[in-house]
Amino acid sequence: MSALTNRIRALRFAHGEMSQGELGQRIGVTRQTIAAIEAGKYSPSLEAAFRIAHVFGVPLDEVFQWDPAADGRAHPGL
Amino acid sequence: MPFKEKFAWLSLAALAVAYVPYFWVAGSGMYDAEPAPNFPLLILLAAVSALRCAILGGGWLILRARAPEDARMPPDERDIAISRRAMTSGYYMLTAGLILVGGIMPFTETAWKIVNTAIFMLVISEAVVHGVTVASYRRQA
Repeated sequence: MSALTNRIRALRFAHGEMSQGELGQRIGVTRQTIAAIEAGKYSPSLEAAFRIAHVFGVPLDEVFQWDPAADGRAHPGL
Repeated sequence: MPFKEKFAWLSLAALAVAYVPYFWVAGSGMYDAEPAPNFPLLILLAAVSALRCAILGGGWLILRARAPEDARMPPDERDIAISRRAMTSGYYMLTAGLILVGGIMPFTETAWKIVNTAIFMLVISEAVVHGVTVASYRRQA
């Protein structure tokens, strides 16, 4: 399981059923990249992540969540 | 399917169509007895390289005509990451080929065998680049 999850799909639907293509156009990536991010297969750059949050008008941690328990590289003490 | 993935498939197909016949002929040894510079193999190599360019050029035009907006789109961060990963894999294959062709074969093999192995390693490196590109787009990575 990926340590990074996201709520992009839910947020798109909450924002007038915005399509992946439209979101991609607004942040400067392709529809396929949005699909990959949504599926948790691709982790976007910090800039792209902030742009997505900006489009939805929410803080970054409402779009992306990180689970330290699922991240094998995270130090337990951190 | 994104334009860049389609073009990677096309590049793989062009490599196969052009160079499988060439290496089949070169590997069969039917022109091994030709005197240097071995014009039959040189002409065949020029012909398959021209064929590859024609397939890539024609294919690019057809793909672009079918999806003009997708083709015009500049690479985004994921495209760049995929390209970087593919080039890195191809680089390691090319380095292995360079060691084989430049460091080992000159002591044991004939000139045309070295040349053909160098071309083979170039083709394999390119195939690795396009193969990794296709696999990355397929896995959505």
